[in-house]
Amino acid sequence: MARFLTVALTLAALSCAAAGIGRAQTLQRLTVTTFVLGADTSRPQIEVPFHLVVTLNVRERISAVENLELPILAELELLGDERRLEARPSGTQYRETITVVAHHTGSISIAPATLQAIDARDGRAKQYFTNPLTLQVVGGSLEPLQAGESFAGAALDLARRALLWGLGIACVAAVLILALRRRAPPVPPPVVVAVAPARPVVARTLRDELGDALSVLRADPTRATAVTVRAAVWRTVGGSEGETLADVLHRPAAADPRVRDVLRALERAAFTYDADLAAAVPAACAALERYLA
Amino acid sequence: MSVRPATLTAALERTIVGQRGVLDALLLALLCNGHVLLEGPPGLAKTLACRALAAALDGEFKRIQFTPDLLPSDIVGTRVFDQRESAFATVLGPIFANVVLADEINRAPAKVQSALLESMQERQVTIGPQTHPLPDPFVVMATMNPLDSEGTYALPVAQMDRFLMKVNVGYPSRAEELEILERFAMNERRPLHGVATLADVRAWREEARAVHVDEKLKRYIVDLVASTREAGGVRVPAGNGEAVSVASLIDYGASPRATLALAYLARARALLEDRDFALPDDVRAVAPHALRHRIGFNYRLTTQGVAADAAIDALIASVPAP
Repeated sequence: MARFLTVALTLAALSCAAAGIGRAQTLQRLTVTTFVLGADTSRPQIEVPFHLVVTLNVRERISAVENLELPILAELELLGDERRLEARPSGTQYRETITVVAHHTGSISIAPATLQAIDARDGRAKQYFTNPLTLQVVGGSLEPLQAGESFAGAALDLARRALLWGLGIACVAAVLILALRRRAPPVPPPVVVAVAPARPVVARTLRDELGDALSVLRADPTRATAVTVRAAVWRTVGGSEGETLADVLHRPAAADPRVRDVLRALERAAFTYDADLAAAVPAACAALERYLA
Repeated sequence: MSVRPATLTAALERTIVGQRGVLDALLLALLCNGHVLLEGPPGLAKTLACRALAAALDGEFKRIQFTPDLLPSDIVGTRVFDQRESAFATVLGPIFANVVLADEINRAPAKVQSALLESMQERQVTIGPQTHPLPDPFVVMATMNPLDSEGTYALPVAQMDRFLMKVNVGYPSRAEELEILERFAMNERRPLHGVATLADVRAWREEARAVHVDEKLKRYIVDLVASTREAGGVRVPAGNGEAVSVASLIDYGASPRATLALAYLARARALLEDRDFALPDDVRAVAPHALRHRIGFNYRLTTQGVAADAAIDALIASVPAP
């Protein structure tokens, strides 16, 4: 069962990675300079709308941003979404402002937004992440004293609230001091919350993909797995849906004779007759091992 | 160890310079038990290729020059009265050979063409009361000259469908032509004899039939043929640079015979490459040859300035390989 689960998870991971890289054929070619997620307040109040802002700066002149994924805002209610694309001398700025409201107090963690694009600097498909965001939702503003309350009670309540505010401010100050000591990234001017510059995540290498392919094929030496692995390896070397082996062998990434052997062996495993599969899959594994050696 | 088809290819290449397409077509037809229609200008070693193939197999080669006054009996044979024996004797025509070159098939009238095509299909000839089986293997390579169409009788598409494949023969490259000059200008090289036997060909044919075609590949073949009937959104650049719909250029698509031909040819190509399973590359490589003469293009193809092969390539490219 555990083996099956491992195979299934690896297959899923391989397919996802392959699909991500496969999309590289239609990804935008961008030079990302900044990609940040911010909010107009770090301490939003309960039931008071506030804004989350995703800002993307690229050097190219573009008319739309594709493959940008916003984080899932499970703890907030979405009220609106506004997108703005602005041409600048340095390129284009994309700004997406999401209006949200919190219904509960406490800490809210927002995952980074992601962008998939081809890095125009090196031509590789990459996934970019913004910074994550943590917000502290606090209670509403002080309510007016109700008529009929005694002065002493009101004074006591006021003192209690003042104490709570004092404690809160002290906590925030302590957090800020700690954050400064840990050299938190500088806060960019348009947003309140500290943000980090975009950190491009380099696409998985051919070696990584072929390593995964070998694990998957060894764990599940069936035709279906061979077909999945073949598709994943094809995408890794730049092949796209609907091409044939001859097309893929013309790709620059397939110039290495060991890669060519892998591609041919996987083609055999995908199309040979059932009786030959018992020999074809080990042959594909052997070709993968030769590449990884 | 028995001879492999690749050995025959290599032997033919020692005689014929370039024209790999013609050689492959001949071998594929041989392995599929089919016939080839060649279209190209004269002087491109078509006759030499046929003669070399027959010699390499120690088989018999015959060439029939089609002319407007040719009669069916000139091809299949006839019965003549033998005065010494006082009886009719059958004289077999030139079609009784292993490799037959039907040169400029479109120069003969329909009656003669149909006699040849019937023999190709039935693999036997009836002369008088007797039926004579044609030799096995039996492959016809028919040529059509596209440059000189005056006084010709165009083959109807239904007749062309009987050919397994149609190959367009082009001019050799400069390097190939230089080699032709080297090889043949001073001393004509004689074809190699006895590279393989006719029995070898029959054995290869059985092997080709057993080549595995995966389900995914079968669906790909069917999709390819269906694309000729449902060209939908496929577009191809016209002479004026604008893209035109391929569907608007086609009156009728390929028949199910094309589906069978594609499968046979893919199997044979796999065998030529010493594989016992076919690949998408095999199907795609043979698809233009199997579809070219089976698609009924209309007048718009000419008026829009679209090359038929460009339209076929666009159709093939529109179907994703598995």
